[in-house]
Amino acid sequence: MSSAEAWRFQWTAAIVVCFAMALDSASAQDMESLPSPGQLKRMSLEELMDVRVTLVSRQSEKLNEVPSAVQVITQDDIRRFGVFTLPEALRLATNLQVAQVDARQWAISARGQNNVLSNKLLVMIDGRTVYTPLHAGVFWDVQNIMLDNVDRIEVISGPGGTLWGANAVNGVINIVTKGAESTQGGLIGGGAGTAMQGVGAGRYGGRIGKDVYYRVWGRGLRHNSTDFSNGNDAKNPWDMLQSGFRTDWLPKEGDRVTVTGNLYSGDLDQDTPSPTAVDGQYLIGRWTRDYSQESGIQAQVYFDRSARTIPAIFGEDLQIYDFDFQHRLRLGDRNALIWGTGYRFMRDDVVNSPALAFVPGHKDLSLFNGFLQDQIMLIPERLRLIVGSKLEHNDYSGFEVMPSGRLAFTPDDRQTIWGAVSRAVRSPSRIDVDLYLPGPPVPADSIRLEGGPGFKAEDLTAYEAGYRVVPMPNVTASLSAFYNWYDNLRIFEPVGGNVIQFTNGSKGEVRGVELSAGWQAMAWWQLKGGYTYLQEEFWTKPGHIELASPGSQGDDPDHQFLVQSMMDLPAGFQLNGAVRYVSALPSPAVPYYSTFDLSVVWMFHSFTFSIVGHDLAEKSHAEFGPVTTRNEVPRSVSARASWRF
Amino acid sequence: MAFLKGKAAWVLVAMVLLGLPGLAAQASPDREHRIKAVFLFNFAQFVQWPDSAFAGPEDPLVVGILGEDPFDTYLDEVVRGEKVNNRSIVVKRYKRIEDAKGCHVLFISDSEIPRTEAIFAALKSSHILTVGESDLFFQRGGMVCFATEAGRIRLKINLEAVQDAELVVSSKLLRLADVAGPRKE
Repeated sequence: MSSAEAWRFQWTAAIVVCFAMALDSASAQDMESLPSPGQLKRMSLEELMDVRVTLVSRQSEKLNEVPSAVQVITQDDIRRFGVFTLPEALRLATNLQVAQVDARQWAISARGQNNVLSNKLLVMIDGRTVYTPLHAGVFWDVQNIMLDNVDRIEVISGPGGTLWGANAVNGVINIVTKGAESTQGGLIGGGAGTAMQGVGAGRYGGRIGKDVYYRVWGRGLRHNSTDFSNGNDAKNPWDMLQSGFRTDWLPKEGDRVTVTGNLYSGDLDQDTPSPTAVDGQYLIGRWTRDYSQESGIQAQVYFDRSARTIPAIFGEDLQIYDFDFQHRLRLGDRNALIWGTGYRFMRDDVVNSPALAFVPGHKDLSLFNGFLQDQIMLIPERLRLIVGSKLEHNDYSGFEVMPSGRLAFTPDDRQTIWGAVSRAVRSPSRIDVDLYLPGPPVPADSIRLEGGPGFKAEDLTAYEAGYRVVPMPNVTASLSAFYNWYDNLRIFEPVGGNVIQFTNGSKGEVRGVELSAGWQAMAWWQLKGGYTYLQEEFWTKPGHIELASPGSQGDDPDHQFLVQSMMDLPAGFQLNGAVRYVSALPSPAVPYYSTFDLSVVWMFHSFTFSIVGHDLAEKSHAEFGPVTTRNEVPRSVSARASWRF
Repeated sequence: MAFLKGKAAWVLVAMVLLGLPGLAAQASPDREHRIKAVFLFNFAQFVQWPDSAFAGPEDPLVVGILGEDPFDTYLDEVVRGEKVNNRSIVVKRYKRIEDAKGCHVLFISDSEIPRTEAIFAALKSSHILTVGESDLFFQRGGMVCFATEAGRIRLKINLEAVQDAELVVSSKLLRLADVAGPRKE
């Protein structure tokens, strides 16, 4: 084999392995507790102005009354645990399965069925979906926002189809960045470490006239290569350059006009002659008007382009145009209504190769939706019924209906008991229907994988119940349990000749429990933690033949623990630690691991310095994938500094 | 705990052993006033007083509260041990405006709203930064006013009144505030 052939072969193998993993593997309010006096004193004025003093979100619900399994990762969490990338930040939510596959690839899901191509978790950044219609998943390697700009990350486990739409099957991650008025002044920061070779970022925010605020920012990073389990270098370092801006015009109380945009470009090495090249741009315009807590409107348009070129294997250029409108209103004393409509147009162009093809190469896709949800106060302030449905139309499976009903009982202002029944779908994407592996022309005697022409949506019916309680002013706890019934799950099915097709040939049951708690032990010491239990079972449906074992829908741990400790020490020091345990994954088998992170942060006037250690327990550990292809996550140490002016 | 490998077990054990102290309850003041207390402390840093506002170079900077105190002991906790330009910061509470003449930052509680005109008259030609939290306070000539917007605190500054008192507000603070005169009605 020539070297070009060799790496092409490796590439094909890697992609096949990727699919094989899909197949064979088978995968308080945050506490909203207030920082201590010592910590508040060291905050900049901007940060102080950004602290919520009333616990009302746009949905105007206190977290301990939210009738679903929500966790919130705050800016404070992100800073304390010194995370460089979004997936690392998501490790702080205990209701997610987060596994690092190699230097830049992650498998992230909620409520199971995790793999690198996880397709049942919807991810939004500032109201823009980053879920690609190509493979129905998220390219985590290009979601590199400047984490200093993040206000909060809301992590909802459980179906959110009624409000959020298709693909919010197992959960929703909603990343919200700060308004430009909250990031005034300058910030320069950087860091270097053993895993992340270096990151540098700068931001400046100012004001034009009386009520227009802006910020501009830029960030560059380079991540080191990771090693295979046998110790060989995977030669997969990557780098990314980004810049963006956000303007917020606040003409009057309750009114906000936001325009925000971003562009990025990066190189992802893969031990190939030339790296995978990625680039993208987006521009969002949004107008919100809040008449009161219960009524308001929001209109949003965005354009998003993303491109990825894997030399000689595959290329994609995807453009998305999206329009959304939402209206919240009160009807009488008892009904709080929210309805909305949206349209998305996607233009996808791919560059095919003999290794991999999507046919047709060019495809235009449209998505329409409309939804209506009513919150009915059955007993004022005590018993609420939330019913609603979304109707969505996609080009592959036509109309999909996603209704849900939710009942929440709040016996007093310290407890909420809730239950819900919902339907959600994962609508077909290009990979399900248009994929050819290898790409045509294929010799008749060669085994090939093809998308299924009649592929339907994957369905979920979910039953959930939960309890949230604030037993003492400084303790919060949330427990949720769920039973998910899936039908029409995707499998690889031999359909005669040498052809293997995607079909909706599997169904399954997943049940689990999510427990999370927070404890403000002392004014200067906060503890948070969570435990997630998961049990999955899948069957091949009658009349279907499954190439892999029925358990191949995902690769998930039965048990996960996370405990975080956050301490504020005198003289502006913070000491933070986290311990996490993830039990073994069944297939591909990955041993259990337990590890811990430690960080010391020192805030000195307008400077912040930190030293952070991640995954310190062992030299390295594996988190996901077959032993031959997966990389290990190394112990890493980094130092960073930032200056505000 | 067989599942925990060596060092991780250590840390968990350490967390548990070091911990479990009594529950420190945090009741009063409310969230909003805790943040406002920290702002008051910040004002001491971002405002410059003329030398004549202090009797001597070592004299403390006084943060006063006139009327009902919404901060409880929180403000004392915030300023404890802090220094501004080598001056320590002390908190004093006043019932009558006549007693408040020696302070530098004066938080005028909403309980004093009926008496604001007399208060501002008494403070004429003094070097005191007046801080309040209601529109009425601001309209009648208060210098810095806390407002709440989208659940967060915003600041309104009456620059004219501040300059009349010969105080200099740092541009850092001005940049973040809505600089306005009192609304004419």
